[in-house]
Amino acid sequence: MKRRDLLRAGVVLTGAAAALRPAMGQQNAQQPSELTPAQSGVDASKDLSSPNWKPAFLDEHQNETLIILSDLIIPATDTPGAKDALVNRYIDLLLSAEPRDSAKAFLNSLAFLDGESIRRFKAAFRYLPREEQDAVLHGMAYPKSNSAWTGETTGPDPGHGHFELLKGRISMAFYSSEIGERSLGWDGAFAHGPFQGCDHSEGNHK
Amino acid sequence: MTGLYTLQDPLQQTYDAVVVGSGATGGWAAKQLSEAGLKVALLEAGRPVSPKEFTEHMPAYKLKYRDHSPEIVKTRPIQKQCYACMEYNYEWFVNDLENPYSTAPGKPFTWQRLRVLGGRSLVWGRQSYRLSDNDFKAASRDGYGDDWPFSYAELAPYYDIVEKYVGISGAAEGNEMLPDGQFLPPMKMSCGEILLRDKVKAKFGRTVTIGRTAIVTQAHNGRLPCHYCGPCERGCSTFSYFSSPFTTVKDAVKAGCTVITNAVVAHVNMDNATNKASGVTFVDRMTRQVREIRAKSVILCAQALESTRILLNSSTREYPNGLANSSGALGHYLMDHVTGGGAFGHLADMKAVPNANEPQRPNGIYIPRFRNTPSSKQAKFLRGYGYQGGAGAEFNFSAEGYGAAYKNAIKEGVHAISLGAFGESLARWDNYVEIDNSLKDAWGIPALRFSMTHGDNEAALMEDAAASAAEMLESVGARDIRVVANVEMPGMAIHELGTARMGKDPKKSVLNEWNQTHDVKNLFVMDGASFVSSACQNPTLTMMAITVRACDHLADRFKKNEV
Repeated sequence: MKRRDLLRAGVVLTGAAAALRPAMGQQNAQQPSELTPAQSGVDASKDLSSPNWKPAFLDEHQNETLIILSDLIIPATDTPGAKDALVNRYIDLLLSAEPRDSAKAFLNSLAFLDGESIRRFKAAFRYLPREEQDAVLHGMAYPKSNSAWTGETTGPDPGHGHFELLKGRISMAFYSSEIGERSLGWDGAFAHGPFQGCDHSEGNHK
Repeated sequence: MTGLYTLQDPLQQTYDAVVVGSGATGGWAAKQLSEAGLKVALLEAGRPVSPKEFTEHMPAYKLKYRDHSPEIVKTRPIQKQCYACMEYNYEWFVNDLENPYSTAPGKPFTWQRLRVLGGRSLVWGRQSYRLSDNDFKAASRDGYGDDWPFSYAELAPYYDIVEKYVGISGAAEGNEMLPDGQFLPPMKMSCGEILLRDKVKAKFGRTVTIGRTAIVTQAHNGRLPCHYCGPCERGCSTFSYFSSPFTTVKDAVKAGCTVITNAVVAHVNMDNATNKASGVTFVDRMTRQVREIRAKSVILCAQALESTRILLNSSTREYPNGLANSSGALGHYLMDHVTGGGAFGHLADMKAVPNANEPQRPNGIYIPRFRNTPSSKQAKFLRGYGYQGGAGAEFNFSAEGYGAAYKNAIKEGVHAISLGAFGESLARWDNYVEIDNSLKDAWGIPALRFSMTHGDNEAALMEDAAASAAEMLESVGARDIRVVANVEMPGMAIHELGTARMGKDPKKSVLNEWNQTHDVKNLFVMDGASFVSSACQNPTLTMMAITVRACDHLADRFKKNEV
């Protein structure tokens, strides 16, 4: 058997301390597909910021609605908001790649938002003035409770479920972005020294 | 040609020992036997691994799908049930499409596997606890099952060896259920954890301790101390947590061990005339070529169920139901710690707010078993459970509402506290694996069929664990307490044990106390397959100690020319 054959077979012949190193190098060069993109060092953080970006899954109306909604859920304050973080683009990417059922559930919730807007204010969500958009969202944002007076139930509450689904997606998309992480105060470093734990005296834990 | 390579064909040689599997126990077997002067070949089914592929410092936003890759859903629908299988590292985990297994109707089992040098030691949870005679001799104490064929005192010196080399950080507690060991300085506890420790000790007399973890907290055997970046399961550039490729395997290579990767072992070869194993047959993972390697002894460290699968696939005329299976016990007594019981809540009086720049401690707290101990009264169930958990300030991503108020509420955070139990899985004959003759993996090797359920005792453990956790959280003033009293699917603990159990009686067990098969004297199984009972402690430390003990014995026999 020749050395070339052995390497193809993944056979590592060793006899010295550093012998793993060259063998690994050979292997990695030979089988790049066996590394994840992350393990290969691929940085995809700029993929969504192309000026020529077009949605892969959402139509124009859905995309615009998502931009407006995400900006209401996570607005720019003293830190940038969901619109700055291109949350709609990341959600579009996920929807284009994920199983049909979950993508459909997202579209259903987006459609429910429009349905509520039309029912209450006669126009799709994106065309409503800000006050009416708030009115629609406030009607969906909190779970409905039983009557405080009679104890009677108020019936099914699909609006809150749709709101939570949309908010959950938007929140995950925002806080997994660099802008989102930095909005929480992250300084960009990967480690911050040893964990110091509690240094309070007994009875003074805070 | 560098001077690092020998010119001899490794497959044309006869080794003293061939070790199958390069994970936590395979690394130790290769190291111990090579350093004892034996000629050793270490076979690994996967590829080599390099520190260059570690991703622990890569933020999620650099991933295309930010850890929601469709590739994982497509190729690793089972592996993704493990939190450690991520968009960062999923190639370390097996492709489920190439590595199928089947389950009996109504008996789901999740089997998490890695095929890469180091195996699951690359992503393991690192929690490291000794068993005691309350575990090794449990059958004598409560009448259920069988005792282990050795005592704690016989294994203790090997725990010492392993702990001193691996580097276990932890605190000595003098707890009767959890022997202390050779510890590096413990990681610190948070305010909430200290509060819990003190209240639980005062009210219930129970021990709450910092997790004993295979992460070094000071420079140790050439490895740097933990830098608290957090996600160990993506690799560690300072080698602070223990994984075999950069410790035991490295030492084995130094001592002359030959490492052969991409070797998917199909079966053990036998010399029927002498009733001895003569080596193993493997399939080259890349070329699908069938190869053989010869050895004077064969040591299976392939992971409990893979080792048993190899033996079941090695039937001969003399051993028609699996090699070294004259007892019929091979494949039986499958165990996996039961999980799904616990509680969580908030410590409303804690004022600390979350900090995105906080060091990330890759460890939690541990509460050792307090049921059915020598000093406690008998509970309504057998054996017991221990908890893992923690407390600390977290961003409140479940805050209600939307807009600026929602954004602020997330930052204000909550002081979360949680306890989750790992319970003993009783050894039962009717929990087993067998060969599914209708199913083969991508290399043509017959696959396993699982038949396992957790029983009434495991359910009772989790119910008690949920109630006890809630009680302890109450004692510390936790609010919004939620209890969970589920019995998770077997396999979820990723602590598969048993199926080639040790024992003194060859009619009831596969291995003797030296992890040597009763039937074939030069064939060994040194991994979790050998466990007689599961106890409730994380098992890897014990697997490693058992391996070192067995290798000491084997090396001694080689010296005496008895192999």
